Amino acid sequence: MTAPSAARRTAAKSWLIVGLIIGAVFAAGPVLWMLSSSFKSNAEIFELPPRLITDSFSFDAYVKIFTSAQTMRFFLNSYVVAGAVTLLTLVVAIQAAYAFSRFDFRGKKILNVLIVSVQAVPPITLLIPYFGLVVGLKLYNTYPGLILTYMVFTLPYAIIMLTGYFNTLPKELDEAVRVDGAGSMTALWRILVPISIPGIVSIGIYTFMIAWNEYLFALTLTKSIDMRTVPIGIQLLMGQHSYEWNQIMAMSVLGSIPVLVLFLFFQRYFISGLTAGSVKS
Amino acid sequence: MTTVKRGRGLAPRILGAATAALALLAVAACSSGGSDKAASGGDVTIEFAQWWEPELPTGEFRGLMDKFEAENPGIKVKLVSGPYASTKEQLFAGAASGTMPDVVGLDGAWVNDFAKQGVISDLSELMKQNNYDESQLASQIKVDDKTYMIPVVNFVYPMFSNDSLLAKAGVKAPPTTRTEFADAAKKVSALGGDTSGWILPLSLETPNGVQNDVMSWVWASGGSMLKDGKPDLTNEAVTSATNFVADLYKDKAVAPGAFTMKEQDKVEQFTNGRVGMMIDSLAHINLIKQNNPELKFSISAIPAEDGFTGKRGIPYASWGIGISENSEHKDAAFKLVSYLMSEKTNGDLATMAKAFPGNSSSVPDFVKDDELFKKAFDIYKAGYPANEFTGLPVAEDLMRQFGEQLQAALDGKQSVPDALKKAQDSWMGSF
Amino acid sequence: MSLTTTPERRSIVTGVAPERRRRRNARTAVESYAFLSPTLILLFVLMIVPIVMVIGYSFQDNVILKKSSHFVGLSNYVEILGNGDFWRATANTVVFCAASVVAHLVLGLGFSMMLNSNLIGGLSRTIFRALYVLPWLFTVAVIAVLWRMLLDPNGVINYLLHTKTEWLASPQLALGTVIFINIWAGYPFFMVSLLAGLQGIPADLHEAAAIDGAGPLQRFWNVTVPQLRPIIVSLVLLDFIWTSQQFALIWMTTGGGPINVTEMLSTFTYKLAFAKYDFSMASTSAVLVLLMSMVLAVFYVRHQNKKD
Repeated sequence: MTAPSAARRTAAKSWLIVGLIIGAVFAAGPVLWMLSSSFKSNAEIFELPPRLITDSFSFDAYVKIFTSAQTMRFFLNSYVVAGAVTLLTLVVAIQAAYAFSRFDFRGKKILNVLIVSVQAVPPITLLIPYFGLVVGLKLYNTYPGLILTYMVFTLPYAIIMLTGYFNTLPKELDEAVRVDGAGSMTALWRILVPISIPGIVSIGIYTFMIAWNEYLFALTLTKSIDMRTVPIGIQLLMGQHSYEWNQIMAMSVLGSIPVLVLFLFFQRYFISGLTAGSVKS
Repeated sequence: MTTVKRGRGLAPRILGAATAALALLAVAACSSGGSDKAASGGDVTIEFAQWWEPELPTGEFRGLMDKFEAENPGIKVKLVSGPYASTKEQLFAGAASGTMPDVVGLDGAWVNDFAKQGVISDLSELMKQNNYDESQLASQIKVDDKTYMIPVVNFVYPMFSNDSLLAKAGVKAPPTTRTEFADAAKKVSALGGDTSGWILPLSLETPNGVQNDVMSWVWASGGSMLKDGKPDLTNEAVTSATNFVADLYKDKAVAPGAFTMKEQDKVEQFTNGRVGMMIDSLAHINLIKQNNPELKFSISAIPAEDGFTGKRGIPYASWGIGISENSEHKDAAFKLVSYLMSEKTNGDLATMAKAFPGNSSSVPDFVKDDELFKKAFDIYKAGYPANEFTGLPVAEDLMRQFGEQLQAALDGKQSVPDALKKAQDSWMGSF
Repeated sequence: MSLTTTPERRSIVTGVAPERRRRRNARTAVESYAFLSPTLILLFVLMIVPIVMVIGYSFQDNVILKKSSHFVGLSNYVEILGNGDFWRATANTVVFCAASVVAHLVLGLGFSMMLNSNLIGGLSRTIFRALYVLPWLFTVAVIAVLWRMLLDPNGVINYLLHTKTEWLASPQLALGTVIFINIWAGYPFFMVSLLAGLQGIPADLHEAAAIDGAGPLQRFWNVTVPQLRPIIVSLVLLDFIWTSQQFALIWMTTGGGPINVTEMLSTFTYKLAFAKYDFSMASTSAVLVLLMSMVLAVFYVRHQNKKD
């Protein structure tokens, strides 16, 4: 049986690689163009015929970004806010998802519907009442103001997704620990969470990204230039009269690196077999 | 029971990290910058919201503020700079929540709405109170006869021509009448390849193409789109200008992508030598020279109807300034406004921004040094600044409504007279 | 003894004697709310309060800044529901969302399976995963600027295809183009979530099916998809709601045009708020969007409960 299945494996592998390459062109092609533009001068970005690498290949755009203390501050702010949002959201959402997944209580359905649908209100209409509220709570132009705001956006997503992941884990798992007398917190943090690491990681990464890439509320809820974040920094390069195309591209590239690094670091948890076997009793 | 072992390490670690994050938050909250602590010892701090600082050479705008502070001890100016595209919403949100800065940069298209909502102050009052000499102001934007915005610097929109492309197409000089223009545009487009005679940005996102590239034809021939302050889009002047644009589009003399093109795209296409002629802001002269030093281009007045000999209107957009109604420091704010409008400072700002001054006596430096700017200045002086949209209610939306109807006409979905009629009805609904 | 997650097994496990269930219910209610309290407090203060304000605005006239706002009952709703532009925007939004979500699911599932395969080595897999996740990493403004550049009639894509197609400026192609850009920008959400979900499928399920003679396709339909169902349902729901909110991408590429072919509820509402300065109508539109999403949410919750 081994000879034909080895041949089948090689064929499957070739098809897979072809597919992967086609998909990679689709996914990464535009980003490659973004990268190439960041090394061009503004004039060359729109030339015809287009070239990947032009005569005036330079790191100018990047140099301008790194030598601007103001821009570096944007990155710092984004890191602090996105990092805090991710950690806090995960902790709060894990608790809430446990309740939705494991318990049955009065008002569960309504709460579920509410949490899902609050995301549906167009943010632009929410902007002004929300802004008034933040100013009233003295959170205007502060880190906590942004962090709490983003948590409001990310919690519904995190809770829904974590509930979904927890629902794929059989209830026997927690029951097993309860039999030994442990409470819900133990069942949650010592049993469910470790098994759900891949899910938690993917949610954590996305939460980080939502906070990192958000523009409208970051702009409205901050005032002084030293509290602004990276997306605002990018938009500041889009002037009324002209855009700093290469700097926009360079800043986006730089802005994407933290999330990419996070993903690369954590994607090792996305390997089959790490958690699957633990379901056995 | 390997899972339990793994669990013991992880959960406390997560909780520990969360606590650390909260601690960090607490520290950060105490030390987060930019809170409006009152300046020490009786100093007044006024905030100035604008989008100008990022567009000017680094540090120069702040330099002007520093000079102001030196001349006015006791007043400190805090610059709040934001992206241009979001300025309108931010001002509105600020007004609604009572956090609007004292002095605000304004665009003429927003003045009417902000004034009607009571967001900005009546400057005529303030000028009277401070015995301000109004004659030094080249223009003022009024609503119901009260001034709400003063244009600080003006960006005029003359016609740019790519001389080499025109020569290649057999056109000797930039056209001065509509017939010559249509002829030149068609000839350049006939060169084939990627070249087009004209370029028309009709994006509905920022619909100022309607103002600068369409209505400008009306104003260049001394026409008007209003009658007694009310819309009059079905009149002779607007109809002939719109038909002119529609014919150019039909004859394929216009660059592709018009319906979603923005001003920034227009400039890039021209800089790369693919467009024969465009109506564009002075602010781009240096940009074009920088990005494509080889490009030979010239400035001229927008062509008028054949046989028109009167004064030609030239469209303009300004960086305007106003004072928020809720400001607690209106006197200090007005001092800043008068400083920016004073002859020397206004001239300096105009030089920095490569625009024309809002002070009637200032002359920016670049006019003396640069051929093209001098030409533009002459056109400016020979004609009259024309922008009928400034001061109209929901001006930007009026442009958008017109743009939608025009796009439908250009796409063949309706005739030009129908488009104008629909736009007229739509405008009347907004007045 | 390996555990399966078939419905029958689960009900056997969770079925408890009635006596103990009553005592349990009281305890679980308190406990549940304890687990939910941080969420509830945060969402109530910072989310419910503004939403209630917006709902309030929809019943008034002249809100936000105009001096005299007064109660007008349902007249705003009547006016908006009679507005052809509103329905056109709704239709466009439904098309936009449906097409995007379906494509996201198909691409996300396909890619995640490809990136989970054992046929390629660890290093190549990591590299490919990094490449496939790239569209996710950028802020919407940049994606809009980038694609406008790529799809410019004089841009790279037209150059490679030897054409001068107006992708975004043509009334016929604009909606499809915007959908395409949204598909590109959003598939990694499904891909990464499903990749995580694939890790939770016990390997022995696949082995058991293989031993029974099931080929790869059958294993996919009978093992993988059912296991991923809860996650897929959540993803589809979330993506549908988020896609209906998508504003910046459309606004910055086409502004709702050409003419009005890419007008979505998000751009329609934005224009009401900040172009016509009519916050009452904008709030009304927002409430209608909220109601439509609540319908979806109710279906979702019913579906979740049915499984239990």
